[in-house]
Amino acid sequence: MRGFLLRRLGSALFVLFSLTLLTFVIARLAPGDPIMQMMGNRRDPVRYAALQQQYGLDQPLPVQYLQYVGGLLHGDLGMSFQYPGRPVTTILAAGLPVSLKLGLGALLLSTIVGVPLGIIAALRRNGPADRVITTLMLGLFSIPSFVLIGLLVWLDLTLYKAHWPSLPVAGLQQPASWVLPIFVLAASSMGYIARITRSSMIEVLGQDYIRTARSKGLSAAVILTRHGLRNALLPLLTVLGPSVAFLVTGAFVVEKLFNLPGIGNTTIQSIGQRDYPVIQATTILLGVAVLMMNLITDLLYSVFDPRIARQG
Amino acid sequence: MRNGMFMRRSLALLSGLAVLLPALAACGDSTPTATTTTAGGGATVSPTDSGIGITATTAPTKGVDATLAPTTSAATMPPTAAAQATTLPTAGANVTSIIENPTLTGGAVTPNRVGGGGMLRWSNEGVQDLDTLDPALVNASNSVMASGLIFDGLVRTDSKLGLQPAGAERWDISPDGKTYTFHIRPNLRWANGSPVTAEDFRWSLERALSKDNAAGSGSYYLGNISGATDWNAGKTQGLSGVTVKDPQTLVITLDKAGVYFLYQLTFTAAEVVPRKLVEQYGKNWPDHAYGTGPFQVKEWRHNERLLLAPNPYYYRGAVQLDGIDMPFVQDPATAFNLYRSGGLDVMGSQQFPNTLAAQVAGQPDFRQEPQFFDAYVGFNNKKSPLNNVKLRRALALAVDKKTLTERVLGGGAVTANGILPPGLPGFNPNLKPLAFDPTAAKAALVAAGFKDGAAVPKLTLSYTGGQADFEKVATTLQQMWKQNLGVSVQLQGEEQARYNNDLTALANAPDKSPIEMYISVWGADYPDPQNFLSQQLRTDVGNNNGHYSNAQFDQLVDLADVERDVTKRMDGYHQAEQIAIDEVGWLPLYHSSGNLLLRGTVKGLVYTAQGLTTDDWTGVTNK
Amino acid sequence: MAVRSRVQLPAVGEAQASTPPSLWARLVRNSWALASLAFLIAVVVAATVGPSLYQNLASADIQPLRAPDYQDYTISGPAASWPSAVHWLGGDDLGRDTLARLLTGLRVSLAVALLVETINIVLGATLGLLAGTFGGWVDQVVSRLADMLFAFPGLLLAILVSAIFGTAAQNVAGDIGRLLLVSTALALVSWPLMARFVRGQTLSLRQRDFVQAAEAIGARQSHIMVRHILPNVVGLIITAATLDMASVVLNEAVLSLLGLGIQPPGSSLGLMINQAQPHLEQNWFQLAVPGLTLTLLVLAFSFLGDGIRDALDPTTR
Repeated sequence: MRGFLLRRLGSALFVLFSLTLLTFVIARLAPGDPIMQMMGNRRDPVRYAALQQQYGLDQPLPVQYLQYVGGLLHGDLGMSFQYPGRPVTTILAAGLPVSLKLGLGALLLSTIVGVPLGIIAALRRNGPADRVITTLMLGLFSIPSFVLIGLLVWLDLTLYKAHWPSLPVAGLQQPASWVLPIFVLAASSMGYIARITRSSMIEVLGQDYIRTARSKGLSAAVILTRHGLRNALLPLLTVLGPSVAFLVTGAFVVEKLFNLPGIGNTTIQSIGQRDYPVIQATTILLGVAVLMMNLITDLLYSVFDPRIARQG
Repeated sequence: MRNGMFMRRSLALLSGLAVLLPALAACGDSTPTATTTTAGGGATVSPTDSGIGITATTAPTKGVDATLAPTTSAATMPPTAAAQATTLPTAGANVTSIIENPTLTGGAVTPNRVGGGGMLRWSNEGVQDLDTLDPALVNASNSVMASGLIFDGLVRTDSKLGLQPAGAERWDISPDGKTYTFHIRPNLRWANGSPVTAEDFRWSLERALSKDNAAGSGSYYLGNISGATDWNAGKTQGLSGVTVKDPQTLVITLDKAGVYFLYQLTFTAAEVVPRKLVEQYGKNWPDHAYGTGPFQVKEWRHNERLLLAPNPYYYRGAVQLDGIDMPFVQDPATAFNLYRSGGLDVMGSQQFPNTLAAQVAGQPDFRQEPQFFDAYVGFNNKKSPLNNVKLRRALALAVDKKTLTERVLGGGAVTANGILPPGLPGFNPNLKPLAFDPTAAKAALVAAGFKDGAAVPKLTLSYTGGQADFEKVATTLQQMWKQNLGVSVQLQGEEQARYNNDLTALANAPDKSPIEMYISVWGADYPDPQNFLSQQLRTDVGNNNGHYSNAQFDQLVDLADVERDVTKRMDGYHQAEQIAIDEVGWLPLYHSSGNLLLRGTVKGLVYTAQGLTTDDWTGVTNK
Repeated sequence: MAVRSRVQLPAVGEAQASTPPSLWARLVRNSWALASLAFLIAVVVAATVGPSLYQNLASADIQPLRAPDYQDYTISGPAASWPSAVHWLGGDDLGRDTLARLLTGLRVSLAVALLVETINIVLGATLGLLAGTFGGWVDQVVSRLADMLFAFPGLLLAILVSAIFGTAAQNVAGDIGRLLLVSTALALVSWPLMARFVRGQTLSLRQRDFVQAAEAIGARQSHIMVRHILPNVVGLIITAATLDMASVVLNEAVLSLLGLGIQPPGSSLGLMINQAQPHLEQNWFQLAVPGLTLTLLVLAFSFLGDGIRDALDPTTR
């Protein structure tokens, strides 16, 4: 068990290291001189040298990389190009709570809705309830987030014009502003979770011990809580890690289209502005989030199903 | 003088070049009595002094044309100089002391009872965050608009561009016009209640002009203050031209007498900022910004919104609004939907594409004001093949502007035949345009030395990507050129900030720039042909990004700029404009209006050709 | 979107048993998969011959609009119009015919999907096969490389690459360059997964009797790889590639939405959705057309992929 975790941790560290290296290399490979760009491409050798020094770009590349990693270890992510003088950490700190709320909200919503619907569908297998749920979840799973957003915004505008209650379509002015973005971000994973729950539940319900319990006359609810649920939900843990990666991609679109000041939007913005220090930082941050989630998944899995760890 | 001027981004700020307005209006007015003003102790300063006009008007204001959305309305303060101040506003001893706020009497200062008038939800489009609110550094119009709500200076302009006392209740000007003595409003308070003295103004001016803030506009607008240039270059220990006589008296000396100095003091760089705050928080002080303006920062949520609270010590009285909620909305279409679903009270003060305007035209909360505004295609004149006049003519003749304005932009835009927009003094209704003519276009192409469109090397058209109007205009142009000439054009939509940089690079080193053709806009700083012709297309002026050059054009505008006979002057501009059209220095596309959505509940704000503005923030409510 | 690729794949070794006729028979018995296949064939046909067919059916007065490259003169109908006899699916915000744009947009989606899967198979599957067969340092290099790319969450790497090198690609090779760049960027995100699948299956196959037997009689590793392992991973590769196409068409649309894909006036589903967004209030139908098409494409690739998987391995159902 410990060896397994150590191995996982080791590979996570390797991946983290590669992440810093790759983002660093991409930023340096990119066409264009960031300092010249900051100066509006004016030739002013004195100011150029000063800025170069300020951003540490006057050092040889390996030194720059080491300095960057050194700073990273101290929590120093450098200064933004786009907003001169603003530390990258400040920019990240502004976006992180928004993205966390959005991501956790979506994860929670998709689980809370997806799991029960999956169970109901499994219990009513091939019945009308199953059909409705399966179709609905398939729809939610398949519709691209930006199409769903368009649909919802149109619906919302129509409601507003008809003087019906409607939801805010962008920004974070009020608590209700969270409703649409969280729903859209949750939509596909909701469909996905419901699908996984349904199929693994059907599998578990077909197992001998459930049939035995049934023949003993136990009610469905009791069987479910005592025997079925735990085994049926195990596969969900495997989805947890990928779900986060999934939410990250979703967040790019959702945060941009709903104009939310999260990390996703910050990333898109900084890529547009070629603000490399911010790009590097958000990439690493998002990478760490995914890695952590995968580690947690492995950990949980090894707790719930020790065989994995032994094999691992 | 030029330092830091390339990034000037604010129509509002530029509009402040309204300083020239009187001078130029004077040029256009042949009655000298109306143009001579008695200043201070009786010295006569003639605004028609050509020296003044020229120094001030060769302002290199490059960058503006790239950054403004076609329908950008000006920020509130200072307003755009489209107003027609016919006489030089009273500047001098004849402005008597005005104490507007009854609570500020007799030394004891109590805070005003502010609020109760509702929140104003007002979107700031086109940005994800503001770069700064520091008056010494703000350049982008998005930031100028927000900063202007918080800070105030010695003097201010009203919505008709008249000069009004602000932090200074009155001032005296020495007979030689070089020494200005300002009497600071007694009991002027910061938003936190502590007093504002002459020393605060001195410190703020010195700070704005310091080397550290060279990126700001201070050195440009206020470079006439004695010692400013040396101090800005780091050669002296302080700003010698600004001294404190006593806590209520500030003395500013100038290198040269200039009637427009008071106008220059209305720009952001001259606004007073609290030293205590700056020293306490360092670079992050704008996060907590307050000043002497109507509002103060309640919370600046980076990347999200700016929340402003009323300043209870505002010298003009109690602000009734409970505050301003200003979300930053990158995409105007998102802001539009937000407004349309009830989430905003004001939308479009920074960006409002015509394509969106077409959807709300005729609705009661939609405002449209004509502006002195050009959208045009510029060319890199220093690189083959577009240094070929005949090729440029072929391209110009192949553009169907009527279709472009009427069907693509759908209202709010008028076809541009010439460079000067209709209504601007000097507009020439008899200009001979390069009218849409595919046959003539093909002939011009052959004359240019290409047997057909396919023989022209692939050209690139750069523009600000992601902005609905530009995206459509670029696409349409591309297809018109392909259809009517067979010329292939590659579109290059770029993020605004990158585009600005690329245009600056084009201006600095055209032979090295990848830009060949670019879509750009120009909004009037002040209503005069000089602002559109001499400042845009004369050889090597700061705004002439594409380096168009014609000796005859230069000669004509140089003469017209200083000509005192209005008919002769305008005739000179007409001739020059015709040359620029014939040679396609610019390919003007359309003149655009400013668009705004303003909810009916909002009282006290007006939308004029200068943009969204008010004469008095204390009278604005939203209930 | 990444999740979609992580659907279960056939159990190891089962592929060996399947012979083409029974595989096909099993596939067509799955009505969803069959419908998807029919839909996809229809889409491919529409994208290939649709444009010229539609042009010939068009009435003369809108001919300029439907000129050969479908990017010609913009203004033919009113902006954001509803379907009519002239414009079967209405017009977009510039008055361009929506059906014409849709048909050319599908070409982009399909071309990108095809390119990405080609790279995936040539690069990902081959590397996975090599890593699984030879093990040792080959395996180490391939696995670490895959790990590195996996660390970029979701589409981030593709967004980054297309943003930074987009202008250069466009300058060098125009729209084709952009298309290649987008495909490469998307393949960068998806090949490691393919490599991982194939490697895993290869490793399992190596434990099987027939491979062990071949090894015992002294067959060379390369011989084993080509003769014994490759035929048994083909099914998995096809399944994984089909399923991945669903994410690719979606991801291409995301890149277009962010302005990083095919540039205007070219057409793609993502661009069409992006352009319709500001005119929602006026005409939701113009968003619905590309939106629904994209959703159906994603669904069809998923169903077909699932169908192939099930046909290869009847026990997973």
